[in-house]
Amino acid sequence: MSLPILLNGFRLSAMPRRSLFSTLNTDNDRVLVIIQLNGGNDGLNMLIPLDQYDNLANARLNILIPEVEILNMTDTLGFHPQMSGVLDLYNNAKLNIIQSVGYPEQNRSHFRSTDIWTSGSPADESWTTGWLGRYFESNHAEFPEGYPNEEFPHPFAITMGSIVSETCQGSAANFSMTLNDPFSLTPLTQGAPGDVPETPYGEELEFLRTTIAQSNAYAETITEAAETGANRVDYPEGNRLGEQLKNVALLISGGLQTKVYVVSIGGFDTHANQVEAGKPLVGEHSTLLQNLSEAIAAFQADLQAQSLEQRVIGMTFSEFGRQIRSNDSFGTDHGSAAPLMVFGPCVNPGVLGDNPEIPDQVEPQSGIPMQFDFRDVYGSVLMDWFEVAEEEVRTLLHNDFQYMPVLQPCSTVSAQEAIRFEQEIEAEAFPNPFRNWATIRFRSEGEWVRLSIFNALGNEIRVLSNRRLPAGQHEVKFDGHGLPAGNYYFRLQLDGRQKTKRMLKL
Amino acid sequence: MDRRATIATLLGRKPGAAQPVAAPLVNSGLEPYSGPWGYEQAAHLLRRSMFAPTYEQIKTAEGQGMNSTIEQLFAPVPAPAPPLNHFYQDDPLVPVGQTWVDAPYYDDVNARGYRRQSLRAWTMELLFNEGVSIREKLTLFWHNHFAVSNVNDAKYLYKHISLLRKYAWGNFRELVKEVTIDPAMLQFLNGNQNSQNAPNENFARELLELFTIGKGPLADSGDYTHYTEEDIRQMARVLTGWRDVGLFSTNPDVEVGSVFLPFRHDTGAKQLSHRFDNTVINDLGDQEYAHLIDVIFQKDEVARFICRKLYRWFIYYVIDENAEQNVIQPMAQMLVDNDYEIRPALEALLSSAHFFDMLNVGPMIKNPLDFILSSIKTFGVEFPPGLGARYNAYLRLFSSSVLQQMEYYAPPQVAGWKAYYQEPQYYRTWINATTLPVRMLITDTITTSGFPAGDFRVRIAPLAFVETIENPNDPNALIEEFVRILFPQPITDDQKAALKEVLIPGLPDFEWTVEYNLYLANPDDEELAEAVATKLRQLLQAMLSMPEFYLS
Repeated sequence: MSLPILLNGFRLSAMPRRSLFSTLNTDNDRVLVIIQLNGGNDGLNMLIPLDQYDNLANARLNILIPEVEILNMTDTLGFHPQMSGVLDLYNNAKLNIIQSVGYPEQNRSHFRSTDIWTSGSPADESWTTGWLGRYFESNHAEFPEGYPNEEFPHPFAITMGSIVSETCQGSAANFSMTLNDPFSLTPLTQGAPGDVPETPYGEELEFLRTTIAQSNAYAETITEAAETGANRVDYPEGNRLGEQLKNVALLISGGLQTKVYVVSIGGFDTHANQVEAGKPLVGEHSTLLQNLSEAIAAFQADLQAQSLEQRVIGMTFSEFGRQIRSNDSFGTDHGSAAPLMVFGPCVNPGVLGDNPEIPDQVEPQSGIPMQFDFRDVYGSVLMDWFEVAEEEVRTLLHNDFQYMPVLQPCSTVSAQEAIRFEQEIEAEAFPNPFRNWATIRFRSEGEWVRLSIFNALGNEIRVLSNRRLPAGQHEVKFDGHGLPAGNYYFRLQLDGRQKTKRMLKL
Repeated sequence: MDRRATIATLLGRKPGAAQPVAAPLVNSGLEPYSGPWGYEQAAHLLRRSMFAPTYEQIKTAEGQGMNSTIEQLFAPVPAPAPPLNHFYQDDPLVPVGQTWVDAPYYDDVNARGYRRQSLRAWTMELLFNEGVSIREKLTLFWHNHFAVSNVNDAKYLYKHISLLRKYAWGNFRELVKEVTIDPAMLQFLNGNQNSQNAPNENFARELLELFTIGKGPLADSGDYTHYTEEDIRQMARVLTGWRDVGLFSTNPDVEVGSVFLPFRHDTGAKQLSHRFDNTVINDLGDQEYAHLIDVIFQKDEVARFICRKLYRWFIYYVIDENAEQNVIQPMAQMLVDNDYEIRPALEALLSSAHFFDMLNVGPMIKNPLDFILSSIKTFGVEFPPGLGARYNAYLRLFSSSVLQQMEYYAPPQVAGWKAYYQEPQYYRTWINATTLPVRMLITDTITTSGFPAGDFRVRIAPLAFVETIENPNDPNALIEEFVRILFPQPITDDQKAALKEVLIPGLPDFEWTVEYNLYLANPDDEELAEAVATKLRQLLQAMLSMPEFYLS
């Protein structure tokens, strides 16, 4: 089950790491497609921890999918019934799921949390650049001065929509350009052609629209790619995400060398009517997940049909998950961590991390505590997909970066045969439940040990250890005096391995 | 030709054919505007009379009404304090923080550069702080009109622009007189080389063709209806004898100015053509040039000529039959009746039914200075406190205007910037593949990261501004108000929906209310404030990149 991640006696994660792929393909033509789920996706309704079902039923009965309807992935984990397309990716070893991704000091403001996720900043700092913008800028410091040019004739990134993605914001300019329709470079906010009045104002406006569209520096390369490219499958109708991904596939197929595409789907802010009353299988969230799953499935099929899929990975993110308890409006409120999906044949297929633990008594406002830091996901993708050195990832994201095996050299193994990358961490808290003192006992192999306590809102409230410990068994005491009774979680990080477990204070 | 047909022609369409013969789009004339007065009218008046009014200025104008606003626009404003040495340590005569406008040069030529930079920064600052006054817009109008360029001595330029500013809405004839012997103009059009023995016609030609009466149709060989080639020759003789003094002078006793040198002056009689009623101009020494200007201004065509230019500066570039008959003609008559005082005629234009005609609202493509200033002034942008950093920030804006093909103190032609004379493109010459990315860049920069000026970043600070609008916590009201602030005409519901998607992507409306109120309730939470500010900046970035914002 567990793979010894050892090489000549060194743990891989302790070494400066080069890309897993660099020997396979020196001419990096890889594409990253980011799918932003705007509003805060209810991870617990998308990916249901079957081993927690009874406690989920206690906390969110009015929205919970009936157990028999859940699409089983593993014995303990299943998808929402509308996500058969994504389940197929899993069964074909093209899906990596990372459980409980978030950040310490969860902020439940949409804006603030989106800023954190797009900039890659710590929760207590505001950064003006995006995580991908910084990556691009590390290679193209002068941008946009002198771009496009002969060596880089194509846009570095494209945001499908009307406004450039903050993920691609550099210090001087945004590295992404917006695109609604690859055949007409007029941004949506400029209005549909022909809707100008027949007045001098209208005539001048028309002139400006046309000239702006024509003078886009990348107009020629994009139009050429759109005209050369093709789509080989049918995409779901009336699915805006599908339309965006269809255009992404078209442009990749047409030879556009753009490295990052950002697409988005809104509506995940399901405070109310997440499901219809008494019909947990239908409702807004169900429709969203259906759109998401069908769009991804069609996109992947299109890439596969054109033999392009080994060049492309996709990754979802959302500003936060939602609370464990549902509300009386058949919805859920802003929460904390949630699962993140990475797809494509080059992912490390399977599930990273443990199922979230649902307490039998869920306090109001409780969210899912983080197991993985989103910046570690980003950094690992940068390393393995874009061949960024680990030291640089630390500079671009955070100094405590821990590599995660999200990707692997492209292969076609099935999920059952997939390499298991994670060595099980042995750790427990006792007594559990506890009154004032709890002890966390764990075994380590000499790694850097970060042990911290999270409250039910998903905020890291205590750091018990943050240093290298010798190999062996350890016991660390946690003083819970003065803390309100309720659920807490310890999160143990041993270099790149993480475990989050619940403990109950009486 | 009526306006619609004219526009169709400009667009390369064939007039007539399938289209019914349309009545002129605009029938209104110079008669006083008597329609409703509201935010839209106040905004239109101020946008055209200033380099971008602030929201507050528009609201005030809305409250005080049209007449008071016009009065305020034309109210006397004291001359601005002169430009300062903002950083240059090596000028022995001008310490940093002092003005150089009366200081001589010295042997080190480097002082020339900092003074020019200082003049540019100072000019941008003047535009930024113009207040509710039409003076700066008129100063640039005259600069476009006389188009002095290729003069490198900042002291000359300062004196020249101060002259134009002094006359902003003053007497056109007296302004032409002063400009004729202005040292920068003497340098620019070679008046300083014009002597009895070596007459130089350069200035005389432009005086007629571009500055006063304009060139009419060719009536006969050498006869341009309003004047003849012979008139140019004769008038050049009238203007002989003038020299500028003080160019880059290091002599502390020499002030920048002009002198009349009788020995260089042609004292003979000058016989004008029948176009000037065969007038003979006899020797009047250093007053002869002024007499010549009086003679030219006897012709009412001068009034029509300048009124057309004012029309293209303040209203639109197409002057159709209606505009010629019902606006230009009566306005020119008013100018003549008022002895060429600009103010009454221009006030009449800016308070006319024609000016406020809905069809005249919005079709003007902003020139680069208008564009830059409207992108920063509307929302309040702070500049760094120190003189050097502040001037440098203004120089950044100045450079952007240069890249957008409008450089203050350097009109590209004697005729000025093409946008105001070049058929058929006119305003559209501002927009091309070179200038568009520069326009996009400046609005992107100013709305997102800002540009550095010392330790300071000059960028839009939207939070304080947003509090001044009604119901800022309602995303629909917010967008509606932003549209009114930024765009000359309404936009479609689809566009508003797209903008809301920028402000609150994929979120229901109430989340904006929740987040905005959360920020209000936690004024000390910097991250929260920054998060709300970021959303507003994204909205502004999107709106400022829309072509609607390019129009006034």
